[in-house]
Amino acid sequence: MSFEAPPSRTALGDAFTQVGMLLNFSVRTFSTLGTVLARRRLAWREVLEQAWFLASVTTFPSLLVTIPLGVVVALNVGSMAGQLGAEGYGGAVVAFVIVAQASPLICALMISGVGGSAMCADLGARKIREEVDAMEVMGIPAVERFVVPRVLAAILVTALLACLVMAVGITASFAFQVIVLGDSPGSFLASLTQFSRLEDFLVAELKAVCFGILAALVSCFKGLTAKGGPSGVGDAVNEAVVLAFILVFVANTVLTELYSAIVPARGAY
Amino acid sequence: MAVGILGGYPARAARPVVDAFAALGLHSTFYARVLLHVPTAMRRYWRHVIRHVSEISFGSASLLAGGGTIGVVFAMSAVASTQIGLEGYRGLDLIGLSPMTGLMSALVNTREIAPVVASIALAAKVGTGFTAQLGAMRISDEIDALETMAVPSLPFLVSTRMAAAFISVIPLYLVGLFASYAATNLAVVNIKGQSSGTYDYYFHLVLTPTDVGYSLLKAVIFAMIITLVHCGYGYYAGGGPEGVGKAAGRALRTSIVAVTVLDVVLTLAFWGPRPTLPGLGT
Repeated sequence: MSFEAPPSRTALGDAFTQVGMLLNFSVRTFSTLGTVLARRRLAWREVLEQAWFLASVTTFPSLLVTIPLGVVVALNVGSMAGQLGAEGYGGAVVAFVIVAQASPLICALMISGVGGSAMCADLGARKIREEVDAMEVMGIPAVERFVVPRVLAAILVTALLACLVMAVGITASFAFQVIVLGDSPGSFLASLTQFSRLEDFLVAELKAVCFGILAALVSCFKGLTAKGGPSGVGDAVNEAVVLAFILVFVANTVLTELYSAIVPARGAY
Repeated sequence: MAVGILGGYPARAARPVVDAFAALGLHSTFYARVLLHVPTAMRRYWRHVIRHVSEISFGSASLLAGGGTIGVVFAMSAVASTQIGLEGYRGLDLIGLSPMTGLMSALVNTREIAPVVASIALAAKVGTGFTAQLGAMRISDEIDALETMAVPSLPFLVSTRMAAAFISVIPLYLVGLFASYAATNLAVVNIKGQSSGTYDYYFHLVLTPTDVGYSLLKAVIFAMIITLVHCGYGYYAGGGPEGVGKAAGRALRTSIVAVTVLDVVLTLAFWGPRPTLPGLGT
């Protein structure tokens, strides 16, 4: 089994071919995941290695992005709420923005941008050196050996990273609002606990996991379809990153809207 | 110019720290030289600058990867700002202030979301593209070949890209900003069903030309940083095809972190620690 794009003449035809191949690839990955789990031959070692690699490259940059983001949220919310006469509203907005939106998105950007590009480069280099084809010839399916462990590792790492980002983001926002802007810590915490819900947290985790799956699938797909020598690997990484970012942003809107349509907002100020 | 300039140092323990400082120095010198050579590049290689402008704006990649940067910037800004509209409405509705969603669109889109999202789109599309191109040239010894032919590789390859990025970011960013405003408007008026008059009133009340100017300035600064960082990682790439891909990832990480940190600094510099809302008389 190989992933070779058929030659296409038009840009539109190329786009549809790619979408179809990506869907085919995703379905194949999940069916392989099912088979692998049922037959108990999952490459645990590879999962752990990939998870450790992803965690080690994404954690520190995620935190470096989260702290300024918490400050920006506090800065804008503090000014707006203050002028509208709702100073204590800051905590509630932090619950909305950081828990529900920012933490899954930051995880997704880091997993697809930093982790995904490394995955794509790794697989692309193996593809153009024909290592992947050699493995297929020896009866080791690339999807089972490469893709399934990477998807599982991405799920694990995004789920854990999202919690870390939430904690750090809320702390940064709280610290900026209380220490720099001099607002009341009590009203911040009161509105934070009044408006935050367990469902928000669970949905944020679910979103982070979905983004992790998307990023891993797109990166592995682009890596395994790389062609054209060293510059082909670079192009594959470029396309993988762009595609993953767009998919993540679209998926974020869709998931958020589904959630707010199913679960109504609670609490009154 | 070799990358491994510190090959012979004996102190093993201090190696990572020394290497980090050496890389910092290498990249900083690179940035300074790129910026200094921009006038030369504009004068001598203006044809290449024009070619890069068209490549950056409309691109040659497949339609699936967004069909050029303009498509990527438009799509990502529109989706992110739809989110602002929907979530902002929901948030303000809790305190009975949903009519003021227009105010949030004018404020948050202009000051934070549009510059940051457009920069992330630029970094993903243009930036990693630059790293991939320059890295492929580096590992297939094309940059050394240029130097051998007495073509100064840095102005020819990097300063031309820098000038092209500077020229194309302004229209690209304005397209992104337009997409942000249009998407938030669409989300609030058509999806949440707020009256368009109320939305427009608060939107125009708070939107000032100064804010739009600062917002554009933010985007231009971010684009400069992104181009420099990504070109630097590509120019000094090594380690075969895989090394190029890894360099693209590292460049993306560095530029996203730099953009978010600079965003706070610039927000504080432009609007102060207690930003005020124009038009509300407070």
